[in-house]
Amino acid sequence: MEIIIVLGVIALVVLFFVAQYNRLIRLNISVDEAWAQIEVQLKRRADLIPNLVETVKGYAAHEQSTFDAVVTARAKATTASTVADTAAADGMLTQALRGLLAVAEAYPDLKASANFISLQEELATTENKVAFSRQFYNDNVRNLNTAVKTIPTSFFAGFAKVTEREFYEVEDPQSRNAPKVTF
Amino acid sequence: MATHDFRAQESANKGKTYFLLASMGLLTGLVAYAALTYFGAGTSTFMVPIAVGISLIGVWGSYYGSDKLVITMTGAKVIQREDNPELFNVIEEVVIASGLPMPKVAIVVDSAPNAFATGRDPDHALIAFTTRILEIMDRDELQGVIAHELSHVANRDTLVSAVAATTAGAIAILSDFLMRMMWFGGGRRDRNSNANPIMLVVSLFVLILAPIAATLLKSAISRRRESLADATAVSFTRNPAGLRKALEVLAADSTVVHQKSNAVAHIWIESPLDGKAVSKMFSTHPPIQERIATLRAMESLGQRN
Repeated sequence: MEIIIVLGVIALVVLFFVAQYNRLIRLNISVDEAWAQIEVQLKRRADLIPNLVETVKGYAAHEQSTFDAVVTARAKATTASTVADTAAADGMLTQALRGLLAVAEAYPDLKASANFISLQEELATTENKVAFSRQFYNDNVRNLNTAVKTIPTSFFAGFAKVTEREFYEVEDPQSRNAPKVTF
Repeated sequence: MATHDFRAQESANKGKTYFLLASMGLLTGLVAYAALTYFGAGTSTFMVPIAVGISLIGVWGSYYGSDKLVITMTGAKVIQREDNPELFNVIEEVVIASGLPMPKVAIVVDSAPNAFATGRDPDHALIAFTTRILEIMDRDELQGVIAHELSHVANRDTLVSAVAATTAGAIAILSDFLMRMMWFGGGRRDRNSNANPIMLVVSLFVLILAPIAATLLKSAISRRRESLADATAVSFTRNPAGLRKALEVLAADSTVVHQKSNAVAHIWIESPLDGKAVSKMFSTHPPIQERIATLRAMESLGQRN
């Protein structure tokens, strides 16, 4: 009889350990997946830019400094690898693109062209997708970091080789979707 | 201030749903008990499983095939990306924010602005929009509506309402059976003559009132799920203003267009809601003004931070 109770308790403890371990691994994988989504969206945006720049150039060829800013920011964004670098480059590119669209405002012919309108829609949706994938990533990082720091999962973080992850923070006061949430 | 936080809103609404579902279970038990008291063990032991079984078969079919069923009922046409790239763009944005798989998208030709979500799980989800809602809403408002509908998907509201409909259905069938037996088979009661007369009266009351109570609980659950979907929608978009404006557009519109599209609205409001496990937006409680006020409170909270 005692044997059964002891075995039962051991089984429960093992199950508990497995559950904690798996939870940490799962959270860590969701952060990776969320990061992959950010990269997909950033790549999408980078792919749109040459076409956009060419289109605007066709109507506003002398706005060279604006084009340069976009091209430089794009180059930085495509080479960045760490979370902080990517975030910084992403913020710069967002600013540069905003400048480009502001330039376009001054050219009614450009604004009316079908090509520009469809590019603008693509860019708008991609900007939103970047913002949302960033938000989703940060939510996942928050869940993971909470688990790494709170009992009981914190006891298993070392064993599962799961550590706190870095938030994706963009310096952009205009960013509406910046996840500034208090509890 | 915590009560206006969308996370607090979410957990409060979830808690209330569990409470309501538990009440529903309790009510079923009560009806079964009343049947037992009134008719004795012989009748009740086969009646209760039969009632639950019939209800389960009825609701489960419509739950499992909810996405296909609703398409036939509402005349919704599933569309592809090429048909409306801009709508798909906005949906994809919210899908990324929610981490859900991309749902099927459908359009219903209708002069009333409306939208709904259905499907047994996130992998079989369908969200549908009327042609009118796509005409009158700007991008932010549409984003709010999409977030609300995807919240129903994320919160498994098709399943919740299927469970609620099953229990309410079982209770209705059971008390209907028992009421009929009372009129036509009153003789059975005599076998059970040693039962407490007060208990018999109480049981009778339970049998009469249970279906009404079940219906009330069912709508209370549905209202909770609507509030929950509003809160979850904000957790997706972090933009309460979009959904709030959308609700204001709908609130303003229903007073104007309601009469004109009554016939069509009837099909929409009735058939999807009749236990067919559909979360239909903006037609039932909670009052739209209350939802707008809650979202406004979230907005002011966001500005303060």
